[in-house]
Amino acid sequence: MTTAARTLMGAVAIVLAATATRAAEWTPPGPISMLIGFRAGGGADTQARLIAQELEARHGWTIQPQQVTGKGGLNLAAALKDAPVDGTVIGMVVTETLGYNMAAAGAGLHPDDFTGITTTAGFQMGVVARRVTGWATLEDAIAAAKGGAALRFGVMSPRLADLAYLLGKAQGVTFNIVEMRGGKAVMDGINAGDLDLGFVAGIQAASVAAGDLVNLASALSVPLNQTPEAPTFATLGVDFNADGQFMFVGPAGMSTAARSAMSTAIAEIISDPQTGAGALIASAFGGPSILAGDALQAQMAADYDAAGALLAAASE
Amino acid sequence: MDVLAHVWLGILAVFQGPDAFAVAGLSVSITLVMVAAGFLLGIVVGATPGLGGPTAMAIALPILISVFGFTPDALLPVMGCLIGIMKGATVGGAVPAILFNTPGTPDSYMTTLDGYPMAQRGEAKKALRVAHFASASGDTFSDIVLILCAPFLALLVERHLDLPEKTALLILSLAFVAAVVGRSPGKGLISAGLGLLVVYVGTGEDFYPRLSMGTEALNRGFPIGTAVLGVLVVGAVFHQMAEGFASRSNTSLQPAPKAGNAGRLRWPDIRPLLPTMLRSAVAGTVIGALPGIGSTLAATIGYTTAKARHDRTRAPDAPRFGDGVPQGVAATEAANSAVSGANLIPVLSLGIPGNTAAVFLILAADSIGGFNPGPSVFRVTADAINPELVVAFGLFTCMFVANALNWTVGGLVMRSMGVLAHLPKQRLLPVVLVLTLTAIYVQETRIEAIWFTIAFGILGFGMRLLDMSPLPFVIAFILGAKLEDSARQAFAATGGDAWFLFTSPVAAAFMALSVLVVVLGARRRG
Repeated sequence: MTTAARTLMGAVAIVLAATATRAAEWTPPGPISMLIGFRAGGGADTQARLIAQELEARHGWTIQPQQVTGKGGLNLAAALKDAPVDGTVIGMVVTETLGYNMAAAGAGLHPDDFTGITTTAGFQMGVVARRVTGWATLEDAIAAAKGGAALRFGVMSPRLADLAYLLGKAQGVTFNIVEMRGGKAVMDGINAGDLDLGFVAGIQAASVAAGDLVNLASALSVPLNQTPEAPTFATLGVDFNADGQFMFVGPAGMSTAARSAMSTAIAEIISDPQTGAGALIASAFGGPSILAGDALQAQMAADYDAAGALLAAASE
Repeated sequence: MDVLAHVWLGILAVFQGPDAFAVAGLSVSITLVMVAAGFLLGIVVGATPGLGGPTAMAIALPILISVFGFTPDALLPVMGCLIGIMKGATVGGAVPAILFNTPGTPDSYMTTLDGYPMAQRGEAKKALRVAHFASASGDTFSDIVLILCAPFLALLVERHLDLPEKTALLILSLAFVAAVVGRSPGKGLISAGLGLLVVYVGTGEDFYPRLSMGTEALNRGFPIGTAVLGVLVVGAVFHQMAEGFASRSNTSLQPAPKAGNAGRLRWPDIRPLLPTMLRSAVAGTVIGALPGIGSTLAATIGYTTAKARHDRTRAPDAPRFGDGVPQGVAATEAANSAVSGANLIPVLSLGIPGNTAAVFLILAADSIGGFNPGPSVFRVTADAINPELVVAFGLFTCMFVANALNWTVGGLVMRSMGVLAHLPKQRLLPVVLVLTLTAIYVQETRIEAIWFTIAFGILGFGMRLLDMSPLPFVIAFILGAKLEDSARQAFAATGGDAWFLFTSPVAAAFMALSVLVVVLGARRRG
């Protein structure tokens, strides 16, 4: 090896070491705006704010959470797309935002416009109703619908509206599908009697345990942790499901150091059940579900490409 | 968790929340400190002609949020401070009204009618004590009614109103505000219509930005702070500046009379005031509970009712209202102060703001997150704590802390504020303008927000020139998203029934009432 080659390799090693050090010791150049794509006070909003609190406490970063809600997270995506790439603006959405919603909108947004930082938790997405309805299973609700009752089905996104439509279609009934702002609004609507049943992504756990609400079905590909006896959508004749995760995302081109420092910091917090965020994720969302780096970026692209099939099925 | 447990948790959240400092080993919570700071600031701004509670709340809110952050722990200190300002300003407004014949706030105009003659007779201290006693009494009465009524109203709405009826109730509230605020229901409707038009820019559930005319800046719509602060505060500043230029030569205060030594109120002084105060407090509370009718009307009704009664019952040689009768001061101050608590009944139970102070409380809740005023706040389940209900009882506790301060030190502070009336308005207004724009930028951190605020300020100025109240605009802006959501949901829930507002008797009755209040308002003024 020539002296020049050794010098070059040494320089590369120094640069790589310096980069690794920066990743570990990255500090944001200013306050971090944490955009939250969910209505204030719901489970997802609480999760984001608890993570923000813990990031401040553990790392001394200043986090400024702010609500940017609406259009299934696309308002947030539009605001984030051209934000600074130095890690001072991040957003919390669901994987559905960068998948189905972007594909359905055709508004010029694409997952490639964003940097996936990390997912935090999956959903415990159940079809929920009040116990006082007397329904123990989805079959009871379907029987009521077939008996002439016009059932109101609460959803919180266009993708879930499609799934509710396909569930009704598979079961031979038509639901009045009502789109609410967030899972908490759906649960409030069910509790108030404004809705008969609806999708709730995990915050129903305490009320189901207390016997006020009942999980009629799992909208996931797998059974719900709390009520594994509730049938999955696949067994109810629906070829699609509501699988997905909450995730943090930044604008495309975000520095590797910032992305890596953030994903590590967030993963540590949500994996620690002693933190508020960790405890919430354990109780309401079935524990942390962490996907970061290139694997997350690939998942985002795959979700976007797969959205067409659900759109086509719901349009038939 | 039962209601009492939530009450207790709400009280603890105020007294045992994050500490500000410790005195003799006892820690003092930051919420208590902020309520006290807000209350004192409120008295100062209330006693300063040209400022007022809403201006101070508008400037304080973004600063408070930047200090306390966006965590649920910020809700009580920030909202407690705003409640303190709201209550303090009501008390403070009487000071220049009595001492200088210049109302510090619009709702204390009637206080000048008897307060200033009393002061001219050397009874300034007595007039100030009467004003304070009546104000604190009216305020406390109103708060008690709020705590008793808001949860029941919320439960009533939650249990008995379906989605179409909730939509119709929102329409009725907007129609009511448009019809009763200002001098013309037509102008009120235009103001509300403009508010709806503006709030629908860039919003909605469709995947394309609505009404944005293809511009990037409008894609996300107008931030709520820019519209509210622009129309209410910047518009008022522009208007007052224009008025100041127009009447620059004759802006002198009435001379301050001697304070005199007729001071302390004793039972023989208080006893004749009580029936007047009670009637005014009831009137103020009822008016306050209705959206859109402000404390100025309450003060007018309180004063004119008391005057009519006094004229009927007075001895022939007794002084008339306007000659410096303590009942005149008490009637006005009890009525305008009784509005502040009752105003929160529609806010907390329905999420409908009734006046500008309530607008800023909703703005605070909206900005910080974790508390969505409306019927769901008062839901109690057996298995879990409802954090929003804890916050609601925390707010009630803050109100009583402010009342306690009012009863103990409020009078003393108020009576020392006479000097503030000498602050020149023309120097205060630019300061308010700069503070407001800075506060907006702190919260929104983008330059478009400043342009939006100035544009809304020009709109607010124009509305004032045309004698059009900006309040329906602001309330429509705040309720617009809720109205659209509710209407969309009701339409979907009824299976796409386009007549969903008229198919249920209750919804149809609300719609008929909406038309009726506008028609009656127009006829009354026509």
